[in-house]
Amino acid sequence: MSVFVIAEPRAGELRPVTWELIAAGRALGLGPVTAVVPGGPGEASRLAETLKTDADNIIALEHGSLAGGSGGALADALAALIRERAPRVVLAAHSAAGMDFAPTVAARLGAPMVTDVLSVSFEGGSLSAVRTVYGGKLEAKVTLAPAPTVFATMRPGSVEKTESSSSAGVEIVPSGASGPFAKRFVELVKEAAGEVDITQADILVSVGRGIADKENIALAEDLAKALGATLSCSRPVVDLNWLPKDRQVGISGKTVKPKIYVAIGISGAFQHITAMKDSGLVIAVNKDHRAPIFGVADYGIVGDLFKVLPALTAAARAGI
Amino acid sequence: MRIAVFVKHVPDTAEADLVLSPDGRSVKTGGLPHQMNEWDRFALEEAVRFKEATGGSLTAFLLGPEEHEESLRRCLAMGADRAVRIWSGELAETNPGAAAALLAKAASSDAYDLYLSGAQSSDDGYGLVGSMVAEALNLPFAALVNKIEPSGGTLRITRELEGGFGEVLDVDLPAFLSIQTGINEPRYVSILGIKKARAKPIDLSSPADLGLSGAELSDAGKGLSVTGLSAPESSGRAEIWAGTMDEIAALFVKAVGEAGGGK
Amino acid sequence: MTVERFRDSDGTELFARFELGACLQCGRCAGGCPVSIRSPLNSRALIYKAVIGADDEEILSREEVWDCTGCRTCSDRCPRGLDPGGVIRAVRTRKIEGGRIPKTLMDALESAMKHGNPWGRSRMRRAAWTDGIEVRSLENGDESENLWFVGCTPSYDPRCQETAKSLAVVFGAAGYDYAILGNEETCCGSEFLRLGETGLFEELSETNKENFKELGLTGIVTTSPHCMNTFIKDYGEMGIKAVHYSQPLAKLASSGVFSWKRELGIKAVYHDPCYLGKQNGIYDEPRAALKALPGLELFEFDRSRERSLCCEGGGGRMWLEGEGTGERNAQTRVKDAHALGAEVIATACPFCLMTLTDAAKTTGLEEKIRVLDISELYAMALSEEEQG
Repeated sequence: MSVFVIAEPRAGELRPVTWELIAAGRALGLGPVTAVVPGGPGEASRLAETLKTDADNIIALEHGSLAGGSGGALADALAALIRERAPRVVLAAHSAAGMDFAPTVAARLGAPMVTDVLSVSFEGGSLSAVRTVYGGKLEAKVTLAPAPTVFATMRPGSVEKTESSSSAGVEIVPSGASGPFAKRFVELVKEAAGEVDITQADILVSVGRGIADKENIALAEDLAKALGATLSCSRPVVDLNWLPKDRQVGISGKTVKPKIYVAIGISGAFQHITAMKDSGLVIAVNKDHRAPIFGVADYGIVGDLFKVLPALTAAARAGI
Repeated sequence: MRIAVFVKHVPDTAEADLVLSPDGRSVKTGGLPHQMNEWDRFALEEAVRFKEATGGSLTAFLLGPEEHEESLRRCLAMGADRAVRIWSGELAETNPGAAAALLAKAASSDAYDLYLSGAQSSDDGYGLVGSMVAEALNLPFAALVNKIEPSGGTLRITRELEGGFGEVLDVDLPAFLSIQTGINEPRYVSILGIKKARAKPIDLSSPADLGLSGAELSDAGKGLSVTGLSAPESSGRAEIWAGTMDEIAALFVKAVGEAGGGK
Repeated sequence: MTVERFRDSDGTELFARFELGACLQCGRCAGGCPVSIRSPLNSRALIYKAVIGADDEEILSREEVWDCTGCRTCSDRCPRGLDPGGVIRAVRTRKIEGGRIPKTLMDALESAMKHGNPWGRSRMRRAAWTDGIEVRSLENGDESENLWFVGCTPSYDPRCQETAKSLAVVFGAAGYDYAILGNEETCCGSEFLRLGETGLFEELSETNKENFKELGLTGIVTTSPHCMNTFIKDYGEMGIKAVHYSQPLAKLASSGVFSWKRELGIKAVYHDPCYLGKQNGIYDEPRAALKALPGLELFEFDRSRERSLCCEGGGGRMWLEGEGTGERNAQTRVKDAHALGAEVIATACPFCLMTLTDAAKTTGLEEKIRVLDISELYAMALSEEEQG
C-alpha cells in the first residue's frame, strides 16, 4: 500500500512541513512514501530534486496553471492523479495551502478525511489520528472509515522530520487537468511593513513595565526576530511612549490569540490578561514568582529578564 | 447580488471545566455560555457589507437546535433578509460530512452568487464543512480569504498565507469563500437590535424537508468518527522551569517548536 | 425653514427631549469637564450642533464622545439645570445602535451579555475570590436581608479582589450583618447605561431587580460607588436602601466595635470618587472612616470634595483608550499626592484604585505612593501580621 505526501512549494522552495509529512508517512509503516510536488513545467521537477534523499518516490506534477500557487488547477490535478494511482493514505499539511486544496480533493473523490491532526497511525485497516478540540482543552482520537483512499492534514510542527537516505527518482507527470479554471492564481504578495496588526501574528513577544527602559526593548526585539515573532506590549509601555499604540495588548488596546505568547516583565494586570488569555502556549518571564501572569501561563521562568532574554535569544537562533 | 452565509453557534469554553458525555465521545455543552463562532462573525460582516454595497439579498443558514437561534437573530439584526435553521430532533451528533450534506441541501434550493462562511469553528476546528458544501454545490472554493475586491462578475481575492504572505487569486462567481479573521471589523449588534430581530421569522428545515433520509445522512457522516476525548497531559498553573540558564533556554526552544513556532 | 435636528435612537429630537432651547451656550459645562484638558470633547459645542441641525454624520463621527466619564460635572454646573451629560449619552446610544464602537468596548459589552460581567470571565469564577476566606453567602445557606453587592471588578480583578477580601475581614470583625450572592451575582449595568447600551442595561437591571425582590432585601451595601449610584438613580423605586460600604463603616468605627492591632503610621490623602462624592454628596463618611483609623494622618487635596479631579475610570472609560495626548488626570493626581507629602492615596472606588495604581507606575512614583482602598487600610489596622 502506498502513502502519498503532498509537498508544499512556496516562493520557489519547499516549506519545511514537507519533510514532517514524509516522516509521518514513513511512520505509518504502510509502504513506500511518494512525495507529490506540484508546480509549473520545470519548476515542479526542480523542486522535486530537493527531496531525492528523503522520499522513496517523487512525482513532479506539472501544469502551466500550477506555476506559483494554488489555483483551481491544483485540486483538479491532484484529484486526477490520486484517483489514478489510488494511494491508501494521502497526507498534506494543515496549512494555508492544505486548508485550501485538500478538503476539496478528498470531497471530490468521496474519500474519508480528517484535518489538523497531531499524529496519525494505521491500526486494523483504518487510519486513526489525534487532534485537539475546544482550543486545545481536549484531545480527540478520531478514526476514519476503511476506504481505498483516505486523507489527513497534519498540523505543522507536530511531527519531527527524520534523517533518511533514500535515493528517489523523479517521475514527471504532466497533469491532464484542463481549464478554464474558475479560480486562477494571480500573484504572491508580502504585507507591507508599516502599520503592525499584532492580532494577526502567530507568535508574540510582549514586553511590560519590567523592561524598565526604552533602550532595553531591543533585547525583546532580538528574541522576537529569532522566533519570527511580532513585538507587542502592555499598557504602561505605550503610556511611557516606548512603543506605539498599535503594539498594545490589553482591554483598551488589542485582544490577541496567537499560537504562542511570550510575556516578558509583564506582571499580569487584569486589563492585560483579559486580552491574551486565549493564547495557545503562554510562557512568562518575571522576577516575581507571585506575579499574576503565572496564573495564565503554561510555563514560567522566574528570574532577571536581562539575563534570561539573551539566553533565550541565543538558544532560539541556534535551535529553530 | 444574492448572498448566502453559513454560521455556527458555539460554546465559550474559556475557564470552563469541560464535562464529557457518558460515552466519552462528546462534550456536554448545555450549561456553557454560547455565541456565534468568531470566524463566522467576520464572514457575516463581509456578507452584510456586500449586500449594502450591491443591493440584493442575504440569507443566513445555521445547523443547530432552537437554543442556537440567537446567532441567526444576530444575522437578521445585521440585515439578513432570511434566516434558515436546519435541525432534527433525532440528530444526536453532527459531524462535518453530515453537516455539509444538510447545509448543501438547504442552500441548493436557491441560486446564490456568493457563499461565505468562517474558515473554521472554535469547537471542533476541522475547517472542512465549507469546502464540502462547495464541492456538493459544484462551486470553486478558496480558504482563508482576508481581502475581497469585486471586478465585474469576478472577485479578486487574497488568501492569507504564513509569514505575512498573501496569495492573490481571481475567482468567478458563483463561488464559496471561507473567511479568515481580520478581514474586516464586525460591527456591534446591540441588545435592542437583537430584540427587534426576534420579531422576524426563522425558517425551520428538517432533513426530511430537505429530502435527506436517515440512511443518506448517516452515509454522509460515516467517514469520520470520534472514538474518545481526553484531557491533554499538561493543564493548570504555570510549570516553572528550573535548572541552569542553558537548560531553561533549551526547554523554551522545545516548547515553542512543539507549539508550531519557527518557520 | 424646517431644521432637521439630531434625534436619539427612539427618533425624538434631542432639542425636545433635553429642552435645549434653554441653553445659553455659556460654556460652564465644557469649562468644568475633567477630560476637556486632553480631549476634543466639548459638551457646549455638541449641544450647539444638536440644536442648529448639524449633519447627523458629523455628530456621529465624533469619537471623542467616548471620552466622557459620566462624572456629571457638566450637568451639575449648568445654570439652567439642563443635562449635557445626557446629550452625550444620547449620541453614544446612536453610535451603539449603528454598530460603530471601538473594539475594546464591543468586547466588554458582549462579555456582559454572555457572562454577566465585562471582564470576559466565566460566571462560575465570580465567587472564586472567596476561597479560603470567611464570607457570608446566600449560596451557602447564610441568611440576611442586607445584600453585600460585591461588583464585577472586585470579584474578578486581582488587584481589586484585595478590596473584597479586606472588606470581608472588616465586616467579620465588626459582626456586620450581610450576605453576598456568590456566583449568582450579575453586573449592575451602571457603565453600560452611561455608554448608551440601554438594551443591555435593561436586561441586567431587570434580572437584578427580580432577584432582589425575590430575596426580600431591605438593604444593599456596595463595594463600588458605581453600583450604589445606579441602584439609587436608575433602578426605580425598589424599596431597598442602597449604600456604599464607607457609610456603615463610619458608623461602625465610631461605635468602637473594632479592636485595632496596630498603629498604621501612614500619611494618606483621600481621593473623592465622582460617583460617590459629586453624584451622591457622600464626602464626610469616608473621611470619618479614615480618621477613625489608628495612626493615619489625613491630608486633603486642593481639588477635593465637589472639585475632586475625576480619575477618568467611569462612564465606560475602563474599556476605552480616549482621544487626546498628554498627562492623564490620574497621573496629575498621583503627582499632587506626592507633592502634598502623602505616602498613600486612599480610595473608595475600584476604578479609581485601578487608574491611580496604573498612574503611580507610569509616573515612576510607585515606590513613593501606594494606592489603597479604605477597606484595605482597615484590614491592615486589624491584622496581626506584618504588612509586606
